[in-house]
Amino acid sequence: MKLKDKYKVALTGYAFILPTFIFLIWFMYYPVYQALSGAFTNWDGFNAPQFIGLDNFKRMMTDEVLSQSTVNALIWIAFSIILSVVPPFIVAELIFHVKKTKLQYLYRTLFVVPIVIPGIVTVLLWRLLYQGDGAINQILEMIGLGSLQKLWLGDPNIALYSIMLMGFPWISAFNMLIFYSGLQGIPQEVIEAAKLEGATGWKRVFRLDIPLSLPQFRLIIILSLIGSLQNIIPPLIMTNGGPGYSTYVPILHMYNVSTVNGEFGYGMAVALIMFLVILLFTILNMKLVKSES
Amino acid sequence: MKSIRLPSVGQWILIILLFFSFLPVYFIFVNSVKTPLDFAASTLNIPQHFEWSNYTAAWDKISMPIVNSVVIIAISVFFIVILSSMSAYAFAKLSFPLKNSLFMLIFSLLLIPGFLTLIPLYLQIKKLGLSDSYWALILPYIAGGQAFTIFVLKTFFDQLPNELFEAARIDGAGNPKIYTSIVLPLSIPICTTVGIININNLWNDYLLPSLLLDRAHQTLTVALVSFEASAGNYGLSDYGGMMAAYILASVPLLLLFSVLMRNFVEGIASGSIKM
Repeated sequence: MKLKDKYKVALTGYAFILPTFIFLIWFMYYPVYQALSGAFTNWDGFNAPQFIGLDNFKRMMTDEVLSQSTVNALIWIAFSIILSVVPPFIVAELIFHVKKTKLQYLYRTLFVVPIVIPGIVTVLLWRLLYQGDGAINQILEMIGLGSLQKLWLGDPNIALYSIMLMGFPWISAFNMLIFYSGLQGIPQEVIEAAKLEGATGWKRVFRLDIPLSLPQFRLIIILSLIGSLQNIIPPLIMTNGGPGYSTYVPILHMYNVSTVNGEFGYGMAVALIMFLVILLFTILNMKLVKSES
Repeated sequence: MKSIRLPSVGQWILIILLFFSFLPVYFIFVNSVKTPLDFAASTLNIPQHFEWSNYTAAWDKISMPIVNSVVIIAISVFFIVILSSMSAYAFAKLSFPLKNSLFMLIFSLLLIPGFLTLIPLYLQIKKLGLSDSYWALILPYIAGGQAFTIFVLKTFFDQLPNELFEAARIDGAGNPKIYTSIVLPLSIPICTTVGIININNLWNDYLLPSLLLDRAHQTLTVALVSFEASAGNYGLSDYGGMMAAYILASVPLLLLFSVLMRNFVEGIASGSIKM
């Protein structure tokens, strides 16, 4: 009887996870397997893929578009980490120091409201704002700075920066809420003790809030690092990598060689290397967390 | 007499930042009610005459894509939450051989970025003959949402006391009964939060739908990108219609959040979602 019961529970357990696994095998594990194995073939989507060893990876070493993309990606990562950490943290601090709880809730909600605008609309909107006769140049003209007018997306020297800097004032609602929850988690006794030692205002921010929010900082830094490597929509929609290759990034290169040229094998090789880079950062991050706790 | 207290410096900074955060909303709105001629004159002012017909023109172009997106996402998120909660319950409260290895197998998917599977998925769905139908997106979306949702729900179920389930078992309830009458009702708030996060992700998805769907099944994001700024009067593009489409595109999420905003803000701010 006991054994039979155990058997029954085990069967029930499998029955509960079976639907999930059917979907995962079909639409996750199999595609992952195809991506990993495809990287070593000349797969073109129609003919049977042939194993070509490391040829795709050798080609990457001499691919000039890829090296330009990598440089762009590094600049992008640096900017996106700063922009996803600094403005949301400042806003979280300011809201946290508002005295009335009701007002705090109001501010939090108001900063979250803009997320109802679909991300793609933000990208399309900024493409329009950056146009030669767009709003940004109109504003510059209006305030007498007409000499600063530029072709924001058409000038290869500034197009990359224009794309990275869209979305002013860069207050990600999600990051702001994460920082805010971190600040809320600081124990009252610690704050009182700090007050006695004279740590108020700016001193408090640097001596107390920032050190105690390190887990939140680390989470957001790693997420924005990973996110910026995967960020294909802005360059794809705003410039498609142009002018020239000035706004190309590795993921856009992967996408275009696969979908436009049909070189799936090579595209998967680029994707595989990007995946390994992201995995490395994630594991490093986990190790750091473990060694501290 | 009560004195009116002015906001402190910090609050002034918040108000200025809020002003800039909402500037795009202002920009989209004022231009959504402009004629092409008004738009060409300035994109920044409020027009003297509001051209509401832009909205009917925009609605004609994006009503079908909005319906497509809503149908695809509603079905996908429903099954994501149901299947994930079943698995999360099994991983949290039932014991069976290989449980931990199977959970690790799911957990490892959190490390797989979407771009790695994008191209193989695209080719696979084409091969299955599913492209140009709702299923082209629904099936991969259901698979794609599992790992994260299972992870969040399992964390939640782990915290539910075991006595709760023991008591039901003594009363003769089987696992399916426990799942439907105890687990599901208790997890409605957390399911709502992960549901919103899934909806928000899928609502913004662009690449897979742009690769797989024909015009009849086009989703909202694809329709917005390919919105033809058709030449209106005076040979000027119909930017007013485009802006009206952006406003209409934001309405569904605005409705969703106006009902569930507190749930969402509290859910993240309380730290129940950890990665």
